[in-house]
Amino acid sequence: MADRAIKLLVIGESGVGKSSLIRRFVENKFDDNHDVTIGMDFKSKVMNVDGIDYKVALWDTAGAERFRSLTPSFYRKALGAILVYDITSRDSLVKLETWLAELDSYSDNPNIAIIVVGNKIDQEREVDREEGRKFARKHRALFIETSAKCDQFVSDVFKDIVEKIVSSEYFNNGNGSTGMDIGGDRDLEGSASSCYC
Amino acid sequence: MDELLNDVVPQEDLEKFEKKYHHELELDGEVTTETKFEYAFCLVRSRYTNDIKKGIMILEELARTHPDGRRDYIYYLAFGNARIKEYTSGLKYCRAFLDIESNDQVRSLEEYIKKQSDKEIAKGMAVAGGAALVLGGILGLGIAMARNKPKREK
Repeated sequence: MADRAIKLLVIGESGVGKSSLIRRFVENKFDDNHDVTIGMDFKSKVMNVDGIDYKVALWDTAGAERFRSLTPSFYRKALGAILVYDITSRDSLVKLETWLAELDSYSDNPNIAIIVVGNKIDQEREVDREEGRKFARKHRALFIETSAKCDQFVSDVFKDIVEKIVSSEYFNNGNGSTGMDIGGDRDLEGSASSCYC
Repeated sequence: MDELLNDVVPQEDLEKFEKKYHHELELDGEVTTETKFEYAFCLVRSRYTNDIKKGIMILEELARTHPDGRRDYIYYLAFGNARIKEYTSGLKYCRAFLDIESNDQVRSLEEYIKKQSDKEIAKGMAVAGGAALVLGGILGLGIAMARNKPKREK
């Protein structure tokens, strides 16, 4: 049974790897070609947390500018947002401010859980891990660095945010399983930031 | 894929971009490509077939006149056609897209349309088969009753 649904949004600049993270997580595949997402895409996966199955609905948004005015309606009813930047591009992290502002104005959930994801740790970085973490902390978001290509910490992204959502006191109208918050800026200290593949 | 195709555009979004479209049309006598696309993007996600058809018409025009955004138009042409069960047209647009560019999202849509179209065909056959079964049932019942009759009379 997976009738408990969790809607997650994946947002961020074009080309940072939003669809790749989802694809790696759901299908365990990776394609070096950049398939530019058109408008909106959707994939789902059943995740088990503490013995309960959740259907995680992943709404993948196009990073392209022309869809900016068209995607706000997809923000509704989202319980979590995955904000992705590319650690080889500082600009993609800076632009997350704009994406957060969009989220702020269009989301109908004031308690939306947020995770900031620095993707592409298999490549030469331009953004220090600390910069990404600072940004996340400033916005009370979770933080993690990943490589969709090498399958590093990808499942942790989804695990971390779903665990945060289901343990939140706001989940299920306050009937969350534990009612305990695991903390706003939990960080995987042990995460390696290089990848050998 | 069902979730994506069944996701209906919020009424206020449709109205907002419809207003913008008509506003430009009245004020400037023409509508910008951007506004046309915004309106069509809402129309093809409407709950009503007529809206979807209208969206498809706008997208067809855009695909002819604005080559830069063609991949977006072709995808949503396939998407709109899939929503009104015009599977042949839907598949045609998917193939047109995939001929130019390999894309996971379009491939998923293509697979979905193929599956739905096969289902429709199977359903058609099931209806025909079902009719034959019902007819057979009536015949069988008639025969059984005819056979039972003498027994009851005994």
